[in-house]
Amino acid sequence: MIDFGFSFSPSSRINLDKADKEKFLSLAALEPDVLKCMACGSCSASCTAGAFEDTSVRKAILSLQNGLSDDAVKLLNHCMLCGKCTMVCPRGINTRHLILSIQKIYGK
Amino acid sequence: MIYLLTSNILQISPEGIIDRYPNSYNHFVLPFVIGISFILVYLFIGLVRILYHLTGEDRIKLLKSLFKPKTAWKNIKDIFCDCLLHTKIWKRKPLLGYMHSAIAFGWFLLIVVGHIEVWLFAPRHLSGLTEGSLYYPIFYRFFIWINPAHETLRGSVFFFIMDFLLLYVLSGIGLAMFKRVRSIALGMRHTTKPSLADRVALYSLWLIFPLRLLAEGFTADLSGGGFLTRPLNWVFRAFFGNELNFLPTWWAYSICLGLFFLAMPFSRYMHILTEPLLILMRNAGLKVRKPRKGFAEAEIYACSSCGLCLDACPMNVQKKNLKYSSVYFIRFLRRHNKRKTREIADKCLMCGKCYALCPVGVNSPAIRRALRETQNNNIKCDYSYLEDASSKSSATLAGKAGGKILYFAGCMSHLTPVIIKSVETILKASGQDYEFMDRNEGICCGRPLMLAGRTEAAQKTIQANSRIIRESGCTTLLVSCPICLKIFKEEYSLNGIEVIHYTQLVDRLIKEGKLKVSKSSSAIVYHDPCELGRGCGIYEEPRNVLSSVAELKKASKERDESICCGYSMGTLTLDEKDKAKIAESSVTSLMAENPDEIVTACPMCYRAIRSKAEVPVKDFAEIVCENIEK
Amino acid sequence: MKNNILVIGGGPAGLEASAVLSRMGYNVILAEKEKRLGGHLAKWDRLFPDQTPAKEVLDGLLDGIKDVKCFTETDVNSINLLDRSFNAMLSNGITILADAVLLASGFDMFKAEKKEEYGYGIYDGVMTNADMEQVFREGKTFSPAPKAIGFVHCVGSRDEKAGNPACSKVCCATAVKQAIETKELYPEANVYCFYMDLRMFGRHYEDLYLRAQKAGIRFIRGRVSEVAETSEGRLLVKAEDTLSSRPVKVTLDRLVLMAGMRPSEAGHKVGRQLNLSVEEDGFFSSRDGFLSLQKSKLPGLFYAGACTGPKTLPDTFHEARSAAMEIDRYIKENFRK
Repeated sequence: MIDFGFSFSPSSRINLDKADKEKFLSLAALEPDVLKCMACGSCSASCTAGAFEDTSVRKAILSLQNGLSDDAVKLLNHCMLCGKCTMVCPRGINTRHLILSIQKIYGK
Repeated sequence: MIYLLTSNILQISPEGIIDRYPNSYNHFVLPFVIGISFILVYLFIGLVRILYHLTGEDRIKLLKSLFKPKTAWKNIKDIFCDCLLHTKIWKRKPLLGYMHSAIAFGWFLLIVVGHIEVWLFAPRHLSGLTEGSLYYPIFYRFFIWINPAHETLRGSVFFFIMDFLLLYVLSGIGLAMFKRVRSIALGMRHTTKPSLADRVALYSLWLIFPLRLLAEGFTADLSGGGFLTRPLNWVFRAFFGNELNFLPTWWAYSICLGLFFLAMPFSRYMHILTEPLLILMRNAGLKVRKPRKGFAEAEIYACSSCGLCLDACPMNVQKKNLKYSSVYFIRFLRRHNKRKTREIADKCLMCGKCYALCPVGVNSPAIRRALRETQNNNIKCDYSYLEDASSKSSATLAGKAGGKILYFAGCMSHLTPVIIKSVETILKASGQDYEFMDRNEGICCGRPLMLAGRTEAAQKTIQANSRIIRESGCTTLLVSCPICLKIFKEEYSLNGIEVIHYTQLVDRLIKEGKLKVSKSSSAIVYHDPCELGRGCGIYEEPRNVLSSVAELKKASKERDESICCGYSMGTLTLDEKDKAKIAESSVTSLMAENPDEIVTACPMCYRAIRSKAEVPVKDFAEIVCENIEK
Repeated sequence: MKNNILVIGGGPAGLEASAVLSRMGYNVILAEKEKRLGGHLAKWDRLFPDQTPAKEVLDGLLDGIKDVKCFTETDVNSINLLDRSFNAMLSNGITILADAVLLASGFDMFKAEKKEEYGYGIYDGVMTNADMEQVFREGKTFSPAPKAIGFVHCVGSRDEKAGNPACSKVCCATAVKQAIETKELYPEANVYCFYMDLRMFGRHYEDLYLRAQKAGIRFIRGRVSEVAETSEGRLLVKAEDTLSSRPVKVTLDRLVLMAGMRPSEAGHKVGRQLNLSVEEDGFFSSRDGFLSLQKSKLPGLFYAGACTGPKTLPDTFHEARSAAMEIDRYIKENFRK
């Protein structure tokens, strides 16, 4: 990149053309549950860590689908794996294992 | 007292025992000698390797424990009861216990008594390898000739004892053969599939003792014999005449022994030699640190592959999930199959029933956790917020909880408000001063992280909670979730603050007369939560209380045999459908005596059982509340 | 000779079908397990989307069944197919030989106490949609007047854990209707609707939604996942406002759970005796999903209403009428040659 001495502020628009679909599909192959989320927010609502810091499985899944994997990892950084999200998820997503997998695949 | 009779061909001991071979050697001993030498070298190398992989601290701990009288005595007792008598199997399945003790204890006595016999009657042969001490006592009957006229009472007693012991072992072998055909007769629903080495070792083990009987039967007219071998000899003579060619049976006997020892390290029978080491290490207080090395290796080789864990595993309700049982986990670990072991380790509910029922006491849940640790401990995380959270929480509690009970509901109890409400009602009704630690925001106890193998992360939450609890000045920490209870008891250092489960507190309050309950006519059954029962050993307190508020019925499996509800935090990969199946089987066990209601004392069990039970399901605190005398 | 037709279930579907069949000249026998006819409709106060009093609709239905033999508080003890006709023994001792049977067993309300985290039956302030209708119907009021009331959509619907992954279809509109009615009763109160997706699919439903918005009802897109009790005995409700991506908590005086529809247990009892097949959701399966909606796999046995899945009242009435026509055709083809 040529440094012009100034920069454009990055667009806040999500660019789906640039989202890394391959990586997401490989996650989905390992964790088919990731495709089941209907974004009800139960997980974030009951999240133990979420009471202190921005933590949300729902948002992390959405971020990954939008190609924002750094955001996704950040949203799960504070997770204590307490399992409340697994218990309340109406779609029966195994959130705990999903979280571990996202951290392992995208966390590097 | 040894003197020569005929130059140096026949030697005679005081009992009139004569060596039939000048150098006490015959080629047939070779297979045995090769086998026993191999196993001894293998054992030595294995021992060195296990000790090498222990941390320095653990090695010292182990060494010290050997000289501590209390531990040393426990070691002897455990080795005697577990390795020889198999008391643990006796208690649950007497016939199976008899089978094991007959083979193990019987064989052990055969060796010991055989050596004593040699020591008494042919003392020369216990000195030095060249004199045949390695094999001589084993094949003693082959090498000697006793003049029947010189037989003493002392000798006859040994003949009797040795034959009796052989019969004892043979009865065990007979049962073992029967068990192969019909395992259910000995109380086992599932048995493991033996590997090739297992088969070689198994069949040679089966043959060793019948062949010994044959071989000693053939020589009984020369070496003397007891009530088994002597009549056998008469039969042989009647069939084959006086000139018995008995060498082939001794060869066969020796080959079977040799084969058994050669196959042993690659078969399940390695447990016979490893179990004593495991006992020493366990009694020294060592813990599994790595999933395949050090202490874990001793655990892995001590597994007898008996398959009792197959019947124990709650996943056995679906045949497809039998492969996740501990016996296969250990088998794949032994074979260094990384893919399979990881898969099995993640699937496990960590309910601990296989460990509780294991006759050897192989702590496979601990190994599974250690394996998860290698996968998950290094996941990046950010727990800096916990410090702030714990300061805030400390500040709100400061000065309020001094000298009182501090109630920690835990994450899961917040999803079962009936537990929190009932616990608070009981505390108020019995006039207990308490403070609520996590009414609004709480920090997880750390047990779920621990179970997922994220030990370092768990330590962070432990630190944060410890600080809140210690600074609150409380005297008692009350928890309503057994998952929390387990880690509070094991991993937290709370400066003497008592950690107590609500079932224990209620039991105490009733005994102290602070809480008065009346008995209803309802028939109930109690489900033992894994972490509370097997995890913390709390079986009696809830039963004490429940039998004073209702009529307590029995489940078909309870206490340490209780079937996990399926909602355990232990599993990482088990899916909802499989969990539901396990919940169903747990409920079926609970409904054995058709109770009106099911009671449990864990928020997870409560939810799981409610999802499957046809009868009302209540929490322990809830049913106590219903029966408080106003 | 008049052909006997047995109608099982005296809710909207059973009543409307009985009325049509009796007008067609059949001898209709209706069995209802409860004391009064009308099913859930009889327990309701007003109906969405236009707040028509439920009583008006029920009275209209009852007018049509003057010639129908109605047995209330009557279960079907046993039923079986003999050659072409059904032999049914009712719990009142009467045996009926019917040439056709209409199963209109409807639905049971989801048992809200199964969602432990909402605290139904534990917290005084937590109630269900049916409880709320009863309050309206009996003209009761809450005292002291509630300052904040919440409505939770999808309780026991779209929830695999509760054993019902499907949408119950009517709860969204019911919640919005009840929210408006609550707001009318307590204009000072804050009224919240916690929804996952707002399914206002029918004619005039969107108008209802707009009315609710104009009335100041706050719609929060997020499912409630935890209800705690404050030290004052109020309800602390936690959800995520997924639109602003933040967890929210709010203290309420009343929380109304929109319990969904589950297949009727009484209907299952009949179904088991006739070996009727149910789908994964527990509701009976029609012969096909388009042209034979009212037919079961058994000739002579027909379905109407919510026994084949959640339905609105208008849907149920359509089904009842078309089931009556199917029965008429069946009888003519098989018994009048």
